[in-house]
Amino acid sequence: MSELIQLGAQRPKAPAPDQLELRFSDKAIAELDALRTHYPTEKACILPGLWIAQREYDGYLSPAAIAEVAHRLHRSYAEVEGVATFYSMYTTAHQPGRHMIEVCTCLSCHMCGAYRIADYLEAKLGVKLGETTPDGVFTIHEVECLDACDRAPVLQVGDQYVGPVTEADIDALLDRLRNEDSSAVVQLADSIVQVHLRDTERAK
Amino acid sequence: MAEYKLLLEHSHEPEFRTLHGYLARGGYAALNRAKGMERQAIIDEVKTSGLRGRGGAGFPTWIKWNGIEKEKTRPHYLICNADEGEPGTFKDKQLMETTPFLVIEGMTIAALATQADAGYIYIRGEFVDAAKSLRAAIDEAYAHGYLGQNILGTGLNFDLYIHMGAGSYECGEESALMSSLMGERGMPRLKFPHAPLPTVAGVWDQPTIINNVETYAAAVPILAKGGEWYVTLGANTKNSRGTKIFSVSAHVNKPGNYEIEFGTPLMELLDLAGGMKGGALKACVPGGSSVPMLNAEDCQNAILAYEELWETGSMVGSGGCMFLNEHTCIVSYTWRTAQFYAMESCGKCTPCREGTKWMLQILERILRGNGQPGDMDLLMEITKQIDGRSFCGLGDAAAWPVAGAIKKFPEEFEYFIKNGRSMVDTPEARAMAPRWAQRAFSAV
Ligand SMILES: Cc1cc2nc3c(=O)[nH]c(=O)nc-3n(C[C@H](O)[C@H](O)[C@H](O)COP(=O)(O)O)c2cc1C
Ligand code: SF4
Ligand code: FES
Repeated sequence: MSELIQLGAQRPKAPAPDQLELRFSDKAIAELDALRTHYPTEKACILPGLWIAQREYDGYLSPAAIAEVAHRLHRSYAEVEGVATFYSMYTTAHQPGRHMIEVCTCLSCHMCGAYRIADYLEAKLGVKLGETTPDGVFTIHEVECLDACDRAPVLQVGDQYVGPVTEADIDALLDRLRNEDSSAVVQLADSIVQVHLRDTERAK
Repeated sequence: MAEYKLLLEHSHEPEFRTLHGYLARGGYAALNRAKGMERQAIIDEVKTSGLRGRGGAGFPTWIKWNGIEKEKTRPHYLICNADEGEPGTFKDKQLMETTPFLVIEGMTIAALATQADAGYIYIRGEFVDAAKSLRAAIDEAYAHGYLGQNILGTGLNFDLYIHMGAGSYECGEESALMSSLMGERGMPRLKFPHAPLPTVAGVWDQPTIINNVETYAAAVPILAKGGEWYVTLGANTKNSRGTKIFSVSAHVNKPGNYEIEFGTPLMELLDLAGGMKGGALKACVPGGSSVPMLNAEDCQNAILAYEELWETGSMVGSGGCMFLNEHTCIVSYTWRTAQFYAMESCGKCTPCREGTKWMLQILERILRGNGQPGDMDLLMEITKQIDGRSFCGLGDAAAWPVAGAIKKFPEEFEYFIKNGRSMVDTPEARAMAPRWAQRAFSAV
């Protein structure tokens, strides 16, 4: 519990309304406009709006990012922050690494050796689950069932599932990801935004 | 009995994901038939079929469809629950990915029967591949008049949207899902009889149908071939008609989705999945993490059908079937189940918010070798305090597996508490355990 309280204390405060810096690209604004037509209320755009923000803000829903979503959707900061922090796929605690590797240790994966996979990742990267490597390349996380139990033990990296994984697969995966400059975290957010939109609504 | 592939028949054919390929394999025959029928006749066909919801509760589908006002006075909504989050289940993912048009056609039939204006497919955030496949199919359907204005000349205007979740098991619970769809935290709402049914006041307070992915998909063969035909499947069961997809995983040789006729013995499902891997059968969790486990003896007689499985002491649930071999430490498995529910509890009500954490703490101390003499009774007592006293089904779902495991394998809990070690003292069991619990298991 104390950790959580500390985390709250460390989290920068919401920007004051007159200090709002809007960062959404034209593409993002167009996407949000298209989304507004999908629902009878603007409020319903909060979840997809947060996905857009997670992409626009390099994979991290900072207070500034949340403030921008709240501003654009005419909601209060507190409301949007409350929504963002409820869901585990929104990254609100800190800036994640370029690649987020999520290890499922839930039931079937537990049964199929996921804890050894988690140990191996920790040893290989020299960080614990929940942490980011000092070079900012990898963040590793433990997650609940990814509903890909037929591939247990399974990892999620960006929008891809990898499994069943072995230690050798992890070596290969880390080598490949290290050489990839684009951020899998941003990529995932973008894929999620895109599937909301019809071909006629997507930016060409 | 073998597999009976009604929904998954063309699942392995990539062309089935395109409109052209779908039409070539009989796609949209159901909608074409439905469009010549009265709305009530469509609902009656579903009634005849005996279709029950495939999302976990097994509620008769036609009752929901029939509950929507017949004289339309306001917008009607349709929701497809594709938030599949129950550990052990991965059928909706495959259906969306490989048979997207079945989901779309099923929803369109439901829209026709209930005069829905818009449908939302609420997909769990991680399922990007499934969502992409559906996206492509929806775009194609719009382009060819299968969605949008005046669908196939029926006069039905129906828009279909994808809405992605963002990581929350609780959002699979229907009222929490609606909260989430409306842009809120995924907290459940007051339910009938304390509040109106979703069919009266659901999402945005309008008449709403919410069904699981597999339920909508099943409406397609029902409308294509008729309810009378559908009831012949599973005819030897008490009240389970048609086929059901079971997601089989954990200690089996060929994990995957297997569609079977209701009434198939559980052991045949195990055969289909290639039999046990790494050791003899010890236990099975047949319907997803929420349902009580069966021991090997129960498994021998278990029949895959709603009432029959209930009588054996478990449930069909979402169809997430995990087979556990002899090296499974039931205490460790149960601890991990408890962690899942403690992590996913939304925190709205006290029995579940506190109870799930207490169960986790107690199971963790047992696993660390620090179990206390009264811990089993304490765990059972907590499950009773949660079960039936929680605001939504997640609390019950957290209590059942813990109570079930203690009932089926009391000796394993007793042994662990007394000796500070697992009764399953094999290297395989040690290999499964989390690092901090490995002391409780012998090395090779
Ligand atoms: C905690 C909890 C999680 C649930 N998760 C899902 C889910 O992921 N998918 C689903 O279809 N139903 C889920 N349900 C059941 C839904 O509340 C609802 O009964 C179902 O979507 C109705 O559709 P059906 O009648 O077609 O089964 C869940 C229920 C609870 C209590
Ligand atoms: S039972 Fe209560 S705390 Fe648990 S998920 Fe439901 S509402 Fe939330
Ligand atoms: S338990 Fe890991 S994907 Fe389901």
